[in-house]
Amino acid sequence: MTASESPIRGPNTRVGQHHLSNRAIVNLFIWPTLFLLIAMNVFPLFYSLYLGFTSYSALIRQAPVWVAFQNFKDILNDPQLWQSFAITGRYALMTVSLQTLVGFGLAMLVHEKFKGGAILTTLILIPMMISAVVVGLFWKLMYNPTFGFFNAILGFTVPSTAPDWLASSIGHTGVPGLALIAIVIVDVWMWAPFVMLLVLSGLKAIPDYLYEAAAVDRASSWFQFWHITLPQVAPLLLIAVLFRTIEAFKSFDLVMGMTGGGPGNQTELIAVSLYREAFLGQWRTGHASALAYIILIIIVAVSSLYIKYLNQSKGEG
Amino acid sequence: MSTIELRQVEKKFGDLHAVKPLDLTIQDGEFVVLLGPSGCGKTTTLRMISGLEAVSGGTIWLDGRNVTWLHPSARDIAFVFQFYALYPHLTAWRNIAFPLQAQGESPENVKKRVNEVAKLLRIEHLLNARPGQLSGGDQQRVALARALVRRPAAYLMDEPLGALDADFRETMRSEIKRLHVLQHATTVYVTHDQIEAMAMGDRIVVMSEAAIQQIGTPAQVYYDPANLFVARFIGSPGMNLIAGKYADGIVQMAGLDNRYPVPLEWQSALKKGLDGGSEVIIGFRPEAAQINDQGKLIGKVYASEMQGSSAVLHLTINENDIFHIRTDRLISYPIDTLVHFDIDPQMVRFFNPKTEAAIKPEVAQ
Amino acid sequence: MAQFEETGPRTPVNEPTRVDKVHPRAKLGKSIRVILIVIMTFIMLFPVIVMVMTAFKTRVDIITPPPKVLFRPSLEGFLYLLTDRALLTPANLAAAQANPGSLSFWQKLALANGQQITGVSHYVARLKNSVIIAGSSTILSVILGLFAAYAFSRFKIAGKDDLLFFILSTRMLPGVVVTIPLFLLYKLLGWNDTYAGMIILYTVFNLSFSVWLLKGFIDEIPVEYEEAALVDGYTRLQAFFRIVLPQAVNGIAATTVFCLIFAWNEYAFALMLTSDNARTAPPSIATMLGSGGLEWSAIAAGSLGFLIPVVIVTFVLRDYLLRGVTFGAVRK
Repeated sequence: MTASESPIRGPNTRVGQHHLSNRAIVNLFIWPTLFLLIAMNVFPLFYSLYLGFTSYSALIRQAPVWVAFQNFKDILNDPQLWQSFAITGRYALMTVSLQTLVGFGLAMLVHEKFKGGAILTTLILIPMMISAVVVGLFWKLMYNPTFGFFNAILGFTVPSTAPDWLASSIGHTGVPGLALIAIVIVDVWMWAPFVMLLVLSGLKAIPDYLYEAAAVDRASSWFQFWHITLPQVAPLLLIAVLFRTIEAFKSFDLVMGMTGGGPGNQTELIAVSLYREAFLGQWRTGHASALAYIILIIIVAVSSLYIKYLNQSKGEG
Repeated sequence: MSTIELRQVEKKFGDLHAVKPLDLTIQDGEFVVLLGPSGCGKTTTLRMISGLEAVSGGTIWLDGRNVTWLHPSARDIAFVFQFYALYPHLTAWRNIAFPLQAQGESPENVKKRVNEVAKLLRIEHLLNARPGQLSGGDQQRVALARALVRRPAAYLMDEPLGALDADFRETMRSEIKRLHVLQHATTVYVTHDQIEAMAMGDRIVVMSEAAIQQIGTPAQVYYDPANLFVARFIGSPGMNLIAGKYADGIVQMAGLDNRYPVPLEWQSALKKGLDGGSEVIIGFRPEAAQINDQGKLIGKVYASEMQGSSAVLHLTINENDIFHIRTDRLISYPIDTLVHFDIDPQMVRFFNPKTEAAIKPEVAQ
Repeated sequence: MAQFEETGPRTPVNEPTRVDKVHPRAKLGKSIRVILIVIMTFIMLFPVIVMVMTAFKTRVDIITPPPKVLFRPSLEGFLYLLTDRALLTPANLAAAQANPGSLSFWQKLALANGQQITGVSHYVARLKNSVIIAGSSTILSVILGLFAAYAFSRFKIAGKDDLLFFILSTRMLPGVVVTIPLFLLYKLLGWNDTYAGMIILYTVFNLSFSVWLLKGFIDEIPVEYEEAALVDGYTRLQAFFRIVLPQAVNGIAATTVFCLIFAWNEYAFALMLTSDNARTAPPSIATMLGSGGLEWSAIAAGSLGFLIPVVIVTFVLRDYLLRGVTFGAVRK
């Protein structure tokens, strides 16, 4: 696919008309995109870094004041922020592993064709298509201890004993509430179909004759799964896990819709903390920028680990 | 002993008749080839023998046991797939060992047998490699080894050489035949390549459109095709078939005033076989014709092909039919030259155009 | 994939016909599977069903325990969503009730709660904003992405792989990092709370995905068609428009759907970078306050209305979607 000049003047080029050279086309086609991406991504990236070293507040009309590493030190010493990170980590771990399991299971169920399979697959996609904040709101309604469907279905119909899933503690026991788990359930509900789609495409790529050979050899179902199904699906699964982990760390919309970070700060994911710092209360822009950078570094580190693992597993096969 | 018997076996996919009810018996130790163009039902038949397809009707017998509804792994057969079907993440050794391990053989026995088979197929140096690292030919050898290691009652092979390069195919062809002779094993082999079938089979089952057209030895299907399909399909090029009208011992061919005097021994058979009609088709192989300036038949040169020590001459007698004559003369024949030739009376065949069946000669008393 | 066609007439078959799979016992296993799938689908759709029901319930029905499955439907939710109302004084109330014939359906509904419609709510304006912003940004990102994807696919470009990786990495960037400087930048440019600001933002966010996805699709279109056109005397541009574009329709459809879904549902940026003028629907839906806290029926009605266009588009283009979701993954 090399760029080549078209030397022939054909029926469609009017005499004297100067048609664009390939060089010009490449530039014309690519530069607008590149320019936009750089302007809206690279510039903010560096500006954000700069702000992290200042005590700037967007609320006050004052030029940024350089404070070197003070923001970073404050953040690393802030126990609330550490807890926020811990909560986010726990959340990411729970939701990604559950999503993967459920999504994989769904894919295995749906895989062997049957009538109406295509329609059902489309229907299962619907949760992914709803705005996350709306999903959060809806489940909030469903989780309501008195008039929500969740409790009703589980059998807790008497208002006084029905558990409040989004409460700060279980009853009067002082045990911290189930709010985070409640959110995990919702996130899994939303995104397991995504994992299912990816796994499904991997499953479809496995040739039937591998399973047939296994049948002739009397291979156990476990053997077939471990040696035929899993290796083919593994790369896609890892990609799904990668994407979903990054998204879990960035998770904002869902939590805002459901709990706003509460009760207390039991569900205060790191993105919510960031929002609070930057756009609420004192608008500590510089501080928030430093926090944003720390989050970025964590995400990049985690992604790199995954990608390395992904390449390794690809290299094997 | 491992004879395979198919009784009225048929297969339907919904309304589509993939295999019409057929009967076939394969003797112990025979190498039988199921031959035919794509979609003729040969692969489906093979898969039914293996159990990878359930029959829609009929029964399958292996060594006198009714195996029609037995799981593939319970039939004591080995299946070699066109695309090798090796477990991609296991080494060649483990791939070959697997069927034995699944049967519960002792590790020493497994080791012994795997090494035996690897030696037979000359892949000992490849045992630690994974399938992805091997060439097509080597992968197929590993697949063969996996089939051989179990010493099953029968080997079923589904176009195993189809995915290989042409030069490899020839090598592997002789390897498979050699293995068959060494093992004395019953083998059912599917292919669409008639050259392969003719080279390898003890008997060939020619199939087309879900039905058997003819069962016979390579010589039988070559020299005595049962119908027009077999005549055209076997041989490269296929049999020359020219339409004509038969009357009083002479076949008048359409075009170029060709009157072929039918050999005496055929005349009564023709009268019976054509059942009063006069339309007939003459068949003869390219090597059955001889270029002869005194020849009774004429053709016009359409093209000629030098093929080393021999040449193939393509002749026409009308706008529709082109036929081929093999000659070892290296004389060039310019286009549109008129050429005289004769047909060897031993090798001429006749077909009924309406039934497409061959007309059988009268058996001499 | 031609290699699978050699195995005979298997195309009309939708189910495996292996001996053990045709066995009656296997059929039982299959039924169990189907039942499980139906259950899972129901679980997946249940909250959506709840949302649909809630949109049509009265306020009272929603908050009384236990939650009702059977109820008398009402369009109250839509009323709260789409209109602003004011309480009627007892005198006006009586006057209105005396003359019911002149009132429209909606006015009657408001009257039942003692209210009068004073105008269209700001939700309608927000919805309009969503349509304009999501629509424009999708069109822009698909067009720009298409051009860039074509160039990357067909030409040798210095540092092509690095550029492509850069484009991809912008997608990996967490929004949190760019939000704050973008907020400041927009403030400087006066783009805060403007259509232009939001459209450009969404366009850029979707660009990286759009370029990668479209490149994947364009890569699959054989170069030979364009080369034949070039030999015939067409310019490169003409070849692009006449030959590549028609064949890339599938890819364009898939990319459009994905970009649309993202821009349509986006909440965080809309929340932080707009206030009144250019605010889209998602931040609004979340804050519909009624007299006793959240106005659930209005939220449900708004969510339902908001979801339907996406569902329709997705259903129509569902086959392309499956390809699209896996494309970006497999192609990397």
